[in-house]
Amino acid sequence: MIDHKDLRPKDLGNPDQQLIKLQELMPLAAPYDKPGMEPDFKEIKDSWKEKYCASLDGFVGIDTLIRPKSKEEEEEFVGKFLNGLEKIFSDANNGVLQPLLLSFEYCAKCNTCSEACHTFAASGKNELYRPIFRSEVLRKIAKKYFTTSGKFFGSLVGADIDVNWETVARLGELAYRCNLCRRCAQTCPLGLDNSILAKEIRKIFSQEMGIAPNPLHEKGSMLQLKTGSSTGITKPAFLDTLEFLEEDIEEKYGRKIKFPLDKKGADILLLHNAGEFMAWPENPIAFAILFEEAGLDWTLSSEMMGYDNVNYGLWYDDTQAKKIALQQMRVAQELGVNRIVIGECGHAHKASAIVADRMAAAEGKIPVESCLPILWDMVRTNRLKLDPGKNNFPVTLHDPCNVVRQMGIVQPQRNILKAICTRFREMTPHGVDNYCCGGGSGFAIMNHCNFSDFRNKVSARMKFKQILGAFQDTMENSEVPKYVCAPCSNCKGTIRDILEYYQASAKFNVHFGGLVELMVNALVSMEKPFLEFLE
Amino acid sequence: MALAVFAYISMVLFIGITAYKARKLAQLPLHGRMELYPVPGEKGRHEYGGSYYEEAEWWKKPRELSKGTELKEMLKEMLFIKKLFENQRPLWWLSYALHLGIYFLAAWSVLIIAGAFTELAGLPVKAGAAAGTSLWAVLLYYLGIFTGVVGFALAAFGSGALFLRRVFDGTLKKYTTPQEYFNLLLVFAAVVSGLTVWGSDPTFGNARSVMAHVLSLTSFAAGPLLVLHVILVGVMFIYIPLSKMSHYVGKYFTFHKVLWENEPNVAGSEMEHKVKQALGYRPQNAWSAPHVKAAGAPAPEK
Ligand code: SF4
Ligand code: SF4
Repeated sequence: MIDHKDLRPKDLGNPDQQLIKLQELMPLAAPYDKPGMEPDFKEIKDSWKEKYCASLDGFVGIDTLIRPKSKEEEEEFVGKFLNGLEKIFSDANNGVLQPLLLSFEYCAKCNTCSEACHTFAASGKNELYRPIFRSEVLRKIAKKYFTTSGKFFGSLVGADIDVNWETVARLGELAYRCNLCRRCAQTCPLGLDNSILAKEIRKIFSQEMGIAPNPLHEKGSMLQLKTGSSTGITKPAFLDTLEFLEEDIEEKYGRKIKFPLDKKGADILLLHNAGEFMAWPENPIAFAILFEEAGLDWTLSSEMMGYDNVNYGLWYDDTQAKKIALQQMRVAQELGVNRIVIGECGHAHKASAIVADRMAAAEGKIPVESCLPILWDMVRTNRLKLDPGKNNFPVTLHDPCNVVRQMGIVQPQRNILKAICTRFREMTPHGVDNYCCGGGSGFAIMNHCNFSDFRNKVSARMKFKQILGAFQDTMENSEVPKYVCAPCSNCKGTIRDILEYYQASAKFNVHFGGLVELMVNALVSMEKPFLEFLE
Repeated sequence: MALAVFAYISMVLFIGITAYKARKLAQLPLHGRMELYPVPGEKGRHEYGGSYYEEAEWWKKPRELSKGTELKEMLKEMLFIKKLFENQRPLWWLSYALHLGIYFLAAWSVLIIAGAFTELAGLPVKAGAAAGTSLWAVLLYYLGIFTGVVGFALAAFGSGALFLRRVFDGTLKKYTTPQEYFNLLLVFAAVVSGLTVWGSDPTFGNARSVMAHVLSLTSFAAGPLLVLHVILVGVMFIYIPLSKMSHYVGKYFTFHKVLWENEPNVAGSEMEHKVKQALGYRPQNAWSAPHVKAAGAPAPEK
């Protein structure tokens, strides 16, 4: 074990059993600033160490990264990684070559980006999580094998790292300690982006070596391509779910709503994260109530790939991202809708609107927009009758990185909250300067071994601190319900987990949910509260 | 004479290699969108980081762009290093000293060249008090002194201090390669050699007269210090564009072609044309994982 203060990028090739151990984390705000308020890290099991790569920081993120059984396997692994590393600089990677080369070549090691990273801060500024740490490891390896200067001058130009199974596997794990939130990139004086390098490492592992966390790949994008949804819901199961929800709406809220389905030529195809139907059905229900009440011409799709907007490829594999995005586009084209509206899912926003934007010629492509401007339009034009008095409790807003920092949708969601809540307050910082929830880039659904400990205690720590900060006036008053509005499935999942992990819901009455739920709760036409905790 | 030729060659190489690098970067294929807000081109929204995606049916509305804000933000970065100022003030003082010093030295060089031409044309560049000196020559004289003194002082201080900071700051040290120390030392040495050569005459009359010889390709007596100075500056000029100190090129692309580039691919647009072209490209290299191989080669994406 190395004291993190002495840890250097080249130590990734070090034969230590575990490079660092997290100890002094960033303090939380009251009431979690007192000892005993937070659970300790789970002890790491020997069996995990034997099977996976736990030698980085004692956490296991990649459940498919298995220790080799022979020298040959070890060499093959390193060889494949180096092949992949060479390819990221080739035309196999054209779609990212320019940004990648810039971030790869020009870092001045000025360290301005470190302070921006929530994980680095939360870890007690542990060297391992400094945004440039992993970038520098990648540079060292690339220099050593693929540059003339590295071959001739070695350590003089930084090519001083031992490359063995441990080095490569640790680097793979380290790529899954970054949420790809790009907050650090906002502060770089040279405009560089360390998340690009983290993602490239993930891509080498997946696209070249066939290694990616199961929840993202086998049970994620592969399952989606096979069944139509990463939840595994097939078309018949989806239809059953809708039917069940319609009954539920009638029973609970006394409203007769029929989800419009596969309506050819509708104005809007609404694409939800299918996880909502399983984990938070009140979200698609709320959308249906609002869209119906506002009289929109909309539809859902029950076609393969048409009822799940997720695209996990975004986080680790460009080829998977493209396959999924193109199939989703096709569904909309076949329905002949005017526009695709993305529900409350941040990465799906970015996947469909931004990343997929240049995957096909514009001709015939159905335009994509976020649900947030439409929702704001409904409020702004008084198409909904709303009573903010119904939301008379403290509400704060989490800004999903993909929607805000990476798409520039900042105002509509705030305008809505200001109009429908009496006690809205911002987190600090917020808007494009927000912190990631800590579940970004797949962390929200990665729960292998002790990885959820890393998420709950480290990567989501800053978000929890921000939530505590936003509610300081009433935090310890468990009589007052408090609501964290997170218009994104992944962020919601992460926030659900932290509230549970720190027992903030049970002890302090802190709740979470999307934006549409609050809107429906404020509807004058609703006879009883839509939010369960108000009942 | 050989010294003058070397100086010319180094300048030509500096410009040539810089242009070559810029061209190389510009020719890289169209990449997937990777904008990061705030994007200054977003008229009326840049201040809070908004974009056209805040509008329902954004594609039906005219895109409101502000070239002015983009230019303003670019100048703030170029002239002031705004991001460093906002996010790491202690380092900004040192880094800004160096960069501002370089800008002043660039201006000083232009003034010295102009002064040399003026003198070659028979007009002495002197203080205003002497009778018969023209306003132009007086301006060249005083501005030369001002830019030179400030430039040399700031650049020497900045490069030296940045070097020392890297040596003594435990964190920076871990990430700094010997080559990166060398980069700073080279700049420092070039500036300090200039100080020792020209410092004895802060009116820079010597510099103008040497420059006049270089420009007219006439021979002149060069002492060892001057020879060293010219060699150091020449080597620096050739080396900078080869090293990552050429970030003055990279920075243009990171901001204008990556972080601030949010051009949507809409039917009939120039972007659509570029996208179609990129989609038609068949890469020579392909990824090897089984799930990728099964589907054929990928085209542009992020
Ligand atoms: S701020 Fe930019 S240049 Fe400075 S260390 Fe971070 S990535 Fe490198
Ligand atoms: S992208 Fe986000 S998580 Fe990753 S290093 Fe930067 S700030 Fe940290």
